[in-house]
Amino acid sequence: MKRASGPINAPRGGRRKGGMKKTEAISSRFFGSALPGVKEEDLAGNLFVIEGTDGSGRSTQIALLKEWLELEGFAVETMGLRRSYLVAEDIDTLMAENSITRLTLALMYCTDLYDQLERRILPALRSGLVVLADRYIFTLIARGAVRGIQREYLHGIYELALRPDLTFWLTVGPQAAFDREFKKSHSISYWEAGRDMSLSDDLYQSFVRYQLLVRKEFEQLSLRHGFIEIDGEHPIPVVNRQLRARIAAHLGIRGTRYEPSHALAHLWR
Amino acid sequence: MPKAKEISIAPTNPALGPHRTLRRDYPGALVVVEGTDGSGKSTQLYLLKRWLEIGGFRLHFTEWNSSPLIKSATRRGKQRRLLTPTTFSLLHSADFADRCERQILPLLHGGYLVLADRYIYTAFSRDAARGCAPHWLRNLYSFAPVPDITFYFRAPLDVAVNRIVAGRPKLKYYEAGMDLGLSLDRAESFRIFQERILNNYDQMVQSDHFVLMDGTLPVDKLQKQMRKIVEARIDLARFAPGSEA
Repeated sequence: MKRASGPINAPRGGRRKGGMKKTEAISSRFFGSALPGVKEEDLAGNLFVIEGTDGSGRSTQIALLKEWLELEGFAVETMGLRRSYLVAEDIDTLMAENSITRLTLALMYCTDLYDQLERRILPALRSGLVVLADRYIFTLIARGAVRGIQREYLHGIYELALRPDLTFWLTVGPQAAFDREFKKSHSISYWEAGRDMSLSDDLYQSFVRYQLLVRKEFEQLSLRHGFIEIDGEHPIPVVNRQLRARIAAHLGIRGTRYEPSHALAHLWR
Repeated sequence: MPKAKEISIAPTNPALGPHRTLRRDYPGALVVVEGTDGSGKSTQLYLLKRWLEIGGFRLHFTEWNSSPLIKSATRRGKQRRLLTPTTFSLLHSADFADRCERQILPLLHGGYLVLADRYIYTAFSRDAARGCAPHWLRNLYSFAPVPDITFYFRAPLDVAVNRIVAGRPKLKYYEAGMDLGLSLDRAESFRIFQERILNNYDQMVQSDHFVLMDGTLPVDKLQKQMRKIVEARIDLARFAPGSEA
């Protein structure tokens, strides 16, 4: 919880340093200018982002948070990567082929994110829903940056994205991430091991190196965007309590007592 | 190999930072045509291409929005009208990135003369007409190599619009800018949309060093001008038969 005391979403509108005369208005709910045609005062709901590598427990925590929020009377919408109606399937297809370049892939992911934002998330926020994001632009920026795409370029293409109310970063060491991933699927995914980057012929080495590279990018992003870091190696109920405490404070929920229902009890370990 | 020169990739936007400059460190050359629909640009580029082809020059021709990789997504988005100005723009940029990284850049490095029917200025003028922020578009396409020559074929709005409306049974939804709600009448919507695009093109003439071509001139006369400019500004001998990159 290193950055808990820092500005929650600094730097507001601080995308450009010096020089540039702006013609477009800077908004506080967006990283840069707002998406075309969006009035930010219409956006009543909240956006909470959980970032972290595979094996950090993101999806489990989101399932638990959704149930807790619904018990507290909040309607919840979720988003993630490769979940758009427009291009999710195409990304799957492109990734299965070897022909796609890193830049095209980055732009397809960007399309995927904005399609979800514009067609699902903004309407949800207008209706006052709470949105939980299972990964957000930060993973996409980090992935692109470790593959050599300019960081400022990546920040630039995502500047129309909504600024989250809170961004949590569940940290896990490469060994723990490896153990969890392997336990789950008995293999390591091509992309999570960064195999397109030719880091090592040894899959374990490749995985560890890739995770460390991504982690470095996240450390920079955390400074820039004020992530709330939570140790994802702690037991699930402990991590969940920390998440609930921050979200409850943000939404004005008084008690944060929560026991998962029977349906989710298997996650509470 | 010709001497590399420093060029700015986004001349209208110097504040984008020093990382936006790139070295034109390839032996190839890039000639693009831009202009509104009905400006005559494609006809002129076709004639230029034929002239060079017949002369045996080493060249490659590429078109906007033609990469097979993302065709299905673009088609789905257009057919079902799912595209917003932002996703419309991003899908086209992904398409262009694919063509840029897999065709245009390798060909420029391999010493080809690359002819492009529409280029990033199409996105700048059209997507801005849809409401995308100009600085966002400039950044989005900042990976693109800057052309050696950008021909801008300019025809008055009425001339261009009439050429298109007369020749087509029905204007397509996005083509006519119907997604912007400018008018319920397709022809009228198309006209307003084209006017915006034309204005955006006009604003780039100086900043992006367009070579202005009068689209109302007879085809053969325009083609003569175009060939003369190409010969003057590009060392065609580098692409001639028998020469090696």
